[in-house]
Amino acid sequence: MYLKLFVLSASSVVLWLAPLVVLEKTLDIHKALQGVSLTAAIACAVSAGNIARELSEQEEIEEIKTRAITADVVDEIATSAYISQQQRQHEAEQILNPREHLERSLALTYGEDEESEPIAQKQLAEPVAEPDQNAESERAERALQLKAKGWGKAKIILEIWGVTKGGSPKYKAAEAEYKRLCDSLKRESRQLVRT
Amino acid sequence: MRAMYLANYFIAGCIASSFLGWVASLHPHAFRAVLCLLAAIAIGWGLSWLLDFSLSKLLNISVADLQALLIGSLAMLLIGLGVFLCT
Repeated sequence: MYLKLFVLSASSVVLWLAPLVVLEKTLDIHKALQGVSLTAAIACAVSAGNIARELSEQEEIEEIKTRAITADVVDEIATSAYISQQQRQHEAEQILNPREHLERSLALTYGEDEESEPIAQKQLAEPVAEPDQNAESERAERALQLKAKGWGKAKIILEIWGVTKGGSPKYKAAEAEYKRLCDSLKRESRQLVRT
Repeated sequence: MRAMYLANYFIAGCIASSFLGWVASLHPHAFRAVLCLLAAIAIGWGLSWLLDFSLSKLLNISVADLQALLIGSLAMLLIGLGVFLCT
């Protein structure tokens, strides 16, 4: 393709200049040859221009593809780095907070005596609902703050629920919860506006 | 490659101008016809410079691109006719 392009470009210049310089303008046959040569030169130049334009468009497309792939890879690396940082932070918090470990182990002990002490289990289950609600309200507040900062949905879900974007059931559940929180916040704000 | 295709179209324009000169040299009537064509091109070129902003909106290109196009077309015409007359 490149060879064809260069041959056509060179031949167009040669067919343009050579007959005008070499041939005599007063002779009819020479004049006719000049006309034919100029016509051929125009055809060659236009063909070469078309080929060059196609090649340039292909190059542009390839460049866009390369840029998109690079951006994707960079994004992937940044996300994985962010996730690993979050995991490390979580692990560090777990290590530094032994109270949580103690509470978990206590909950496990109560779980083992499920059949023998159903009343105690019920008593334990009741206060669990409140922390859930608290956690949900905290999540909602945090989501609202991040949304106000201009964060995207996927990033907010990753930040709050720790789930990366994809078709996993965890992500879907987190997305559904996020939507529910957003809807409830919208409803609350509408009610506030009305009042 | 973009420069290559622009250069090729520029050369095509120059050759077309030379071809116009060649047509003008065939017969006095053809010479007059080519003169009329050149006069029309000159009027159109001048009007394009005067109406560059509205024309650029009409053609959906920037004013700088339109001005480059006009300068390029003038250069093509001058080079083509110059090559034909000087050889």
